[in-house]
Order: sequence, then C-alpha cells, then structure tokens
Amino acid sequence: MLQYLIMCRSLTYAQRTARTLERQGITASVARAPQGVSGQGCAYCVKVSGRNLERALTALKNTNLGPGKVYLLSASGAVSEVTRK
Amino acid sequence: MIYLDCAATSLQKPVSVRTALVNAMNTMASPGRGGHRPAMLAADAVLECREEISALFNVDDPEKVVFTSNATHALNIAIRTLVKRGDRVVVSGYEHNAVTRPLYAIGADVRVAACPLFDCEAAVNAFAQELPHAKCAICTHISNVFGFILPVERISALCRSHGVPLIVDASQSAGAMNIDFSALSAQYMAMPGHKALLGPQGTGVLICKDSASPLLAGGTGSDSMLQDMPDYLPDRLEAGTHNVAGIAGLRAGVRYVRSRGVATISAYDRHLMTMAAGILGRSNRLHLFSAENPKNQAGVLSLVAKGIDSTLLAERLGDRGIAVRAGLHCAPSAHRSAGTIDGGTVRLSFSVFNTETEVRKASMTLLEIIKKM
Repeated sequence: MLQYLIMCRSLTYAQRTARTLERQGITASVARAPQGVSGQGCAYCVKVSGRNLERALTALKNTNLGPGKVYLLSASGAVSEVTRK
Repeated sequence: MIYLDCAATSLQKPVSVRTALVNAMNTMASPGRGGHRPAMLAADAVLECREEISALFNVDDPEKVVFTSNATHALNIAIRTLVKRGDRVVVSGYEHNAVTRPLYAIGADVRVAACPLFDCEAAVNAFAQELPHAKCAICTHISNVFGFILPVERISALCRSHGVPLIVDASQSAGAMNIDFSALSAQYMAMPGHKALLGPQGTGVLICKDSASPLLAGGTGSDSMLQDMPDYLPDRLEAGTHNVAGIAGLRAGVRYVRSRGVATISAYDRHLMTMAAGILGRSNRLHLFSAENPKNQAGVLSLVAKGIDSTLLAERLGDRGIAVRAGLHCAPSAHRSAGTIDGGTVRLSFSVFNTETEVRKASMTLLEIIKKM
C-alpha cells in the first residue's frame, strides 16, 4: 500500500500533527523520517495512507500546523518527493 | 508524621503519580530518539504532559512548554536569555536565591522593588518607580517564606507599559493558584513540578512566550547535522535525555490538580493556613506573619517564637513527628524585607493532602513545645 510521509520540524510537531489528523478521522502515525529525506538529519514525519493524503493536507491547512514537504513511500522503500500544487 | 513542608516539596502525591512513574520505568524509552514503541510511548507521555500544562495555564501552544530539571533550571534559562552583565533588572523584595544568584553571577545591576509584607499597593508602586531604564523584571508570584501573593497581573501590566519583559517565578503558585499565562503576558514563567503540581522531584517547567537562549547544548533527536541547537521550541531548550519517568509522573500530578480544581485547592490550603494561625495566635510568644487581607496570603504561614531559635524549634517539632522548615528558606531577600534576616522563621506550608486534624495537632504540639522552652 502506498504511504505518504508528511515531514515535520520536530517530534512534538509531528505528534501534534498526527493527533490533529486522528481527531478528524484520518489514520496517521508518527515515525522517524528516512535519512535520505531528513534534511539536517534526524527528523520525524507523519505517515498517512495514499487515499488520505489530500484530506490530510486540507485538514492541516485549516489549522496552524502547516505541513512540511511530502514524500511518497513505495512498498520497496523508495522515497520520492511529491510536488504539491 | 505530619508533613507541613509543602512549599519545599509536596511529599504526599496522588497514587496515580507513583503508578505513572513505575509504568514509565517499565515501558518507556526516550522521546525523539528511536521510532520504536517504547520511544513513542515516551513521546506520547511527554506531549500529553505539555498539553495538560498548556490547559492548566492557558498556553496557546504546547510547544511553548519546556521541560527542565527544576524551577531553578527554568529561571536560569529565562534570566540568561534576557539579562547581560550590567543590565538593570528590577526584582521584588521577596525573591528566592534561584533568581538572585543567577543575577549576581551575571553581574546584573539589580534594583529591588522593596515593599512591606502583604502590601500589594506598595509592591506595584515600587515596581513603577524602578522600571524606567530596566532591561528586565522578575517577580515571584508567591513568597516561599511568607505566602505573600504578589500582584503579578498588575506588575505585568506595568512592565508592558514600560516595554520591559517580565519573568514570573511561579514556584509556589503553579498548581496552588489559577494562572492564565496568556492573559498575564509575561515573557517567561518558571515552575517546579514537585510542589503544588504534585509531580516528582527533578521536574520543572519553563513556559515561554517566545523562544529563548539554550542553557545547555546537546542532542535533541532533531536536525542532527546542525551544530547549532534547533531554532524551534521545545527542542531548542531541551538538550539531552528527558526525565521521562518524572514527566509521566508530572502528567499524572497535573491531571489530579485539574480534576480537583485549582480554585478548590487554593481555598483549602488557605483554610488550613488560617486554621493554624487561629490556634497559634493564642500564644503571645509567637509572632505570626499573617496578612490582614486573607486574599494576599496563600497556604504558607511563617512564625517567630520569641527567644527561641527557629531551627531548634523546627527540630523539636521534627522530634514529635511534625515536618516543617526553619531558617532563611533560600530567600534572604524576603527575610530582609520582613525584618527576619537575623533568626529566620519557622514555616508551615500546607497541601491538599493535609487534614484539619493534622493541622490542629501540629499547632497544639507547637504550643506545647514553646511552653517548655
């Protein structure tokens, strides 16, 4: 199953992001971000399933928890950035 | 034992605090390190504690709640962020050494906004007089020695009108009085977890209006490539492994405080203090430091027994199973303000876990002891 990674600036931010999404009925979990996309090293992200990405981004835009970069995590473990409109 | 030293550390805690500590030690690792379940359980506990504290003090963002080792640590961060050598800093006449020693170490130009005990008008006027040209103001919310509730809301308004950032030392008031951090609009508010918030020792909190300068640098589990500390809270101020068990315990303590209601706790502490003062006031050998207006005093009662050394009296009480604190209480400035610097005082301080029976027994025992001395 395709998963998307919403990058967060800190663990606390990722936790708050995931909780905000969960409260809106969107399954989300906090995870360590893959090193390849961690930017300055050691970062956290929120995982959401492919079908929930748009809803998740919309929900976050409506809060003060603006989402960071978004990556697609394929079943093989490959990670690629998603360009957002 | 009857424990009446809650202004130092609350000894009796809710059972949930102990349970949370043990559970954390059994199941939790460190937040911001691994991504495995024990690490994430720890992260949940830490975030939930930030959220509980945000709710208790009306903080608009839990990321502004920073965990420290104690209130002294929190005050040092705040003070070292705002004060440089030679800066003029206005402090109340009732500050703890946790405030005055860092200022001394920095070499600040400290101006004391002196006022008589329990005189709120004089406190406000003293701050008004000293604030021009100040770089920072620091005010304890409640004197740890006398329970004097300083008018921090009015002092904060004055500071805003002078454009001076205010640090509030809420060591005695956090959990014992309602505090609205957003309305107060202080720059920083520091507090311990182990007093009226009923958490374990080794926990403290700094609530920040804006960011601050790190006192420690080190690992945060974030932005590890950078050699600067992260520029966002709370990571910026939380280098090194968290006291996860302590924070989990603090979460339980704050939940208990919120469930009982701070106003209820505050009223009960004052009731016990007034009750003790009523009994002890029967002796003309005792000088009690009681406010004429009870609104100006929290659940702390200091006293001096004429002709009796305060430490000796506390020791005799200890021999009879009553724990109180004597001496200067790490606050010589407060004793100078009240005229008790030479001998200090004996302090009785109460918590929600004390009973009327305990207070009555402790007070009667104190009267018996001074009759024999």
